[in-house]
Amino acid sequence: MPLPDDPTICPRCAFETIDRLATSPVPGVWDVLQCRQCLYTWRTTEPARRTRRDAYPDQFKMTVADIENAIEVPAVPPLRRAG
Amino acid sequence: MAHDDLRSFLDTLEQEGQLLRLTEEVLPEPDLAAAANATGRIGENAPALYFDNVKGFTDARIAMNVHGSWANHALALGLPRNTPVKEQVEAFAARWDVFPVAPERREDAPWRENTQEGADVDLFSVLPLFRLNDGDGGFYLDKAAVVSRDPEDPRNFGKQNVGTYRIEVIGTDRLAFQPVPMHDIAHHLRKAEEAGEDLPVAITLGNDPVITIVAGMPMAYDQSEYEMAGALRGAPAPIATAPLTGFDVPWGSEVVIEGVIESRKRQIEGPFGEFTGHYSGGRRMPVIRVDRVSHRTNPVFESLYLGMPWTEVDYLVGPNTCVPLLKQLRAEYPEVQAVNAMYTHGLMVIISTAKRYGGFAKAVGMRAMTTPHGLGYVAQVILVDEDVDPFNLPQVMWAMSAKVNPADDVVVIPNLSVLELAPAAQPAGITSKMIIDATTPVAPDVRGNFSTPAKDLPEAKEWAAKLQRLIAARS
Ligand SMILES: [Zn+2]
Repeated sequence: MPLPDDPTICPRCAFETIDRLATSPVPGVWDVLQCRQCLYTWRTTEPARRTRRDAYPDQFKMTVADIENAIEVPAVPPLRRAG
Repeated sequence: MAHDDLRSFLDTLEQEGQLLRLTEEVLPEPDLAAAANATGRIGENAPALYFDNVKGFTDARIAMNVHGSWANHALALGLPRNTPVKEQVEAFAARWDVFPVAPERREDAPWRENTQEGADVDLFSVLPLFRLNDGDGGFYLDKAAVVSRDPEDPRNFGKQNVGTYRIEVIGTDRLAFQPVPMHDIAHHLRKAEEAGEDLPVAITLGNDPVITIVAGMPMAYDQSEYEMAGALRGAPAPIATAPLTGFDVPWGSEVVIEGVIESRKRQIEGPFGEFTGHYSGGRRMPVIRVDRVSHRTNPVFESLYLGMPWTEVDYLVGPNTCVPLLKQLRAEYPEVQAVNAMYTHGLMVIISTAKRYGGFAKAVGMRAMTTPHGLGYVAQVILVDEDVDPFNLPQVMWAMSAKVNPADDVVVIPNLSVLELAPAAQPAGITSKMIIDATTPVAPDVRGNFSTPAKDLPEAKEWAAKLQRLIAARS
């Protein structure tokens, strides 16, 4: 669905495809948005340090490599052979 | 008297002056988390917080810090609000001896009032979700009791697990989920994934205060949390049958979420500001598909703030971590007097013990590391004498300063297991562990000059009780 404040990019990974997960029960107050790449989720009324790419802290930023290379917890075990 | 649901406990907290209603309008972020964060900084008898005027919501009801003080923890166990911590732990340990108490099944669970199923499931329409810490990847369910069964023994009531795990909301009907490998649900998941099957789960939110305590308690794999809740409550725990999974869930829950952990799938989750006082993640974690939500009319959303200690989680899991370690150590070493495992879920533990012979205290320390909980925690153990109160940190520091000869009394063992969240582990999941023996050496360990200790006067204990009574009567 189209988002109100175009253009929006993910504050965390800068991906440009953003979904809307929820909208405020009181109309027009806020939306809850989510990055389709890193799943970062934020409410539009949160402080800039959580919602704007230029204000987002470097230590929490994430790259495609970070996402793809993140360790699995717990690791997927081997399939048990039947019989 | 036992509380059957969260609402009746909130009433008790209010009657005891331990509930603060915030009636002015607040922002969902950062106000809710910041207020709960602040409760950990205003003294150890902080109240629970109740919000019902949150910007943008029409009918949000949010309870935080419900277990977040010694007064609230005492009231959760049905003890007087001013019960000292050491006495709360002793009362908890005494009630453990009544385990198991069979639960009572009831049919009229209030969460049957409302249902969402399949494509109609929308967690955001049921729960006023919000963020806790700046770097969190999203909004979390962090105070749920998660019910799962052993896929190879699904009818075994004892192996049915009730546990608390961090759960991130990553969609209107999707959750990401962190099972630490040491925890029971990780065993269930491993068995299901080895067979290529999904693992059904029931996630219950807004539970009675004792269910929350046992869900965060390190119990044996085949011990029932419901039977422990009955022992701690002094009355059978009321349970009901969840409609989709057929699992046993608390009768009094505000919300029951049912679904499956999708087999052999991992997806990015986190980071999340954890009980260690550090963020962990992002990691590739299991994901849950939600198939059904049942909830009370006007549900109360219970959440807790956690971050740099002390926070609510430390009051919640501190005492319930002390008791299993105390029981397991005493089973073989009755000399053990008291166990303080209240720092970061027991990553550091202080044990007071009498000594059988020289070297004995170090053996008690090693045993603590090999208990089921110790395998994933207990990275540092401090041993103190039987007359030192391990909850009295100035006394512990005195023992450390006066009785430790570092070359002989500090033992470091490399490359032992620890949970992957431990910030100091290297690599994640592996750490060295340390024993500090701050007990007085006994024969044949004849070191030091400890022959003339100064002891409390024989009358001092009686005077302490008298002074406490006089102080209490004055207020
Ligand atoms: Zn992103």
